[in-house]
Amino acid sequence: MILKLAWRNIWRSKRRTAITLGMIIFAVVLSTLTMSIKEGMYENMIKSTAGDFSGYAQVHLKDFWVEKTLDYAFEVDQKMVSTIEAEKNIDGYLPRVEGFALAAMYNITKGTAVLGIDVEKEKTFTKLNERVVEGEYLLPDDESILIGSGLAKYLKIGVNDTLVLIGGGYQGRSAVGKYHIKGIVKFGSPELSKQLVFLPMKAASTFFATDGLVTSIILKTGSSDKGIAAAKHLQKNLGDEYEAMNWKELNPELVNMIETDKVEGYVFMFILYLVISFGIFGTMLMMLAERKHEFGVLVAVGMKRVKLALMVWGEILILSILGSILGLICAFPVCYTFFVKPVRYGEEVAKMAEEYGIEAVIKTSLAPGIFIEQAVIVGLIASVIAIYPFLKLLKINAVNEMRS
Amino acid sequence: MKKSNFRIVALLIVAALSTIAFKMAEPSVDEIIKKAEDKFRGTQTTAEMAITIQRPKWSRTMELKSWAKGTKYSMTLITAPARDKGTVFLKKDKEVWNWLPSVERTIKLPPSMMSQSWMGTDLTNDDLVKESSMVKDFKHTLLGKETMGGKTCYKIESMAKEDAAVVWGKIISWIDVKDYIQMKAEFYDEDEELVNTFTGLNVKLMGGKMIASKMEIIPATKKTQKTTLEYKSIDFTTPISDDFFTVQNMKKVK
Repeated sequence: MILKLAWRNIWRSKRRTAITLGMIIFAVVLSTLTMSIKEGMYENMIKSTAGDFSGYAQVHLKDFWVEKTLDYAFEVDQKMVSTIEAEKNIDGYLPRVEGFALAAMYNITKGTAVLGIDVEKEKTFTKLNERVVEGEYLLPDDESILIGSGLAKYLKIGVNDTLVLIGGGYQGRSAVGKYHIKGIVKFGSPELSKQLVFLPMKAASTFFATDGLVTSIILKTGSSDKGIAAAKHLQKNLGDEYEAMNWKELNPELVNMIETDKVEGYVFMFILYLVISFGIFGTMLMMLAERKHEFGVLVAVGMKRVKLALMVWGEILILSILGSILGLICAFPVCYTFFVKPVRYGEEVAKMAEEYGIEAVIKTSLAPGIFIEQAVIVGLIASVIAIYPFLKLLKINAVNEMRS
Repeated sequence: MKKSNFRIVALLIVAALSTIAFKMAEPSVDEIIKKAEDKFRGTQTTAEMAITIQRPKWSRTMELKSWAKGTKYSMTLITAPARDKGTVFLKKDKEVWNWLPSVERTIKLPPSMMSQSWMGTDLTNDDLVKESSMVKDFKHTLLGKETMGGKTCYKIESMAKEDAAVVWGKIISWIDVKDYIQMKAEFYDEDEELVNTFTGLNVKLMGGKMIASKMEIIPATKKTQKTTLEYKSIDFTTPISDDFFTVQNMKKVK
């Protein structure tokens, strides 16, 4: 009965309903778009730092990640291959052998991370060949290397120079080699750019005395979430001898950065919600003032105050739910536009973003969680604010209201 | 009355004298440390040894020849296996140089490499260079005597002096009473956490001195790992000139 009255009241005054509904829809669209842009930025960051280089998931021999020595090299056997291929979230895999070496050029030396790579596979997976800014990309049989642009700058060397690498190889063997620099690669992250040296797998095998063993298998998955799922699933199937790690475990700094940024985001969102709350509150005050006479008459003819209050609360509740749903429907095309057609940053900001290895665009995220979350939050805010008219109506004085 | 008094006094004097005599026979802590240290340092040493790296899943042996003069100079030539043959390390004061025959380069090890493992062993490059003198940089206390490796040893605790630039915070060593051979030592970091345990084995006469011909180093955090050094020959008498320890000479030594 009360709900029915509430429903009828909503349609009685279309203008008032439209204003309240419009306010709620606008709030949902605004908060969803804000959140979607933020999430989109994180996805972008994760993709450019983790996805394009380390993969969203990796498999190593257990403890490799902590010890980081070549003694944890292993053979990619048939069992491993079939286990990985059986995992549905994985689109492909890429072996690497990772070790540390000292790069020496005359009197300057620098510690580097030496990566033995599958030259061909790396092309399609990480597009390493597209990162070559000087010289040429490697061929599988080359006794040559690619070095990061930061490292080249530090050692004051360029393409066609010779670099000496000294390090520890497999099982205590020494790793010493002299390599021709075939190309220079640029990475967004200055950290990577300063320390990476790429060697074709075959040459790396000789250098590290690993004889074809690898230290890591990089897994290609469609999204970061699939990477997490794949790592979890693989860990179970591969057993304790191996460790399957997701991008979060592989890039703790990145996760930290995002977490910090999220906290800042919460403050911003809180202010946004506050503004939204006052907007909704305003429309409610307007509604109360408009209907003073009506409420007065209702109480005067004997309607119980509690019923009256419940009816108005019901009206607002219906409007909140309706507004949230409509807001959701409106927010989607807005976010989708930014998803399909990302907006590029201005020149200055773009440069800065690229220095950090992030693609310089504003791109939204279409994760369904964001939409639902924001709709629910705004809906809740509206229904909580509705407590004010509810309390007000409980203390209504019929005569005073009718007179005004 | 008077007589008994005299007797007591006499007894006391004898007792006092005997303690002094006992004290004189027993060397001071600093002397023990110095004698143990002088076993290898302060002289010139030419030695051939084998170093074995033992890991749960594999082990590897390297053979090397080394020359040392005092604490200032040392030169190490790897003679086996073939992969590393001819590699030379030269230590001159606080610098370490590395000659790599396979790429024909001499490299000065940068500070960042000093804490890295030396040739895959449980020793760090720093262990090779550290110039710290037990006598100069540590304060010693005799903790008592204990039997270690079948020998009666002095157990000595050495704490690093506050201003000394040393790697270790504390060392507990067991030094043989008779020949001043270091039979065991425990190396602790500045937080007094055990880092390495050193054990001397196979004590025998080599090059005219009683020494532990085999040594084991076990890292505290990885008890299943071990590095063993074994002397094949050692010579304390052949003089070595300072000119021997040069970067140029690294390419020529055999």
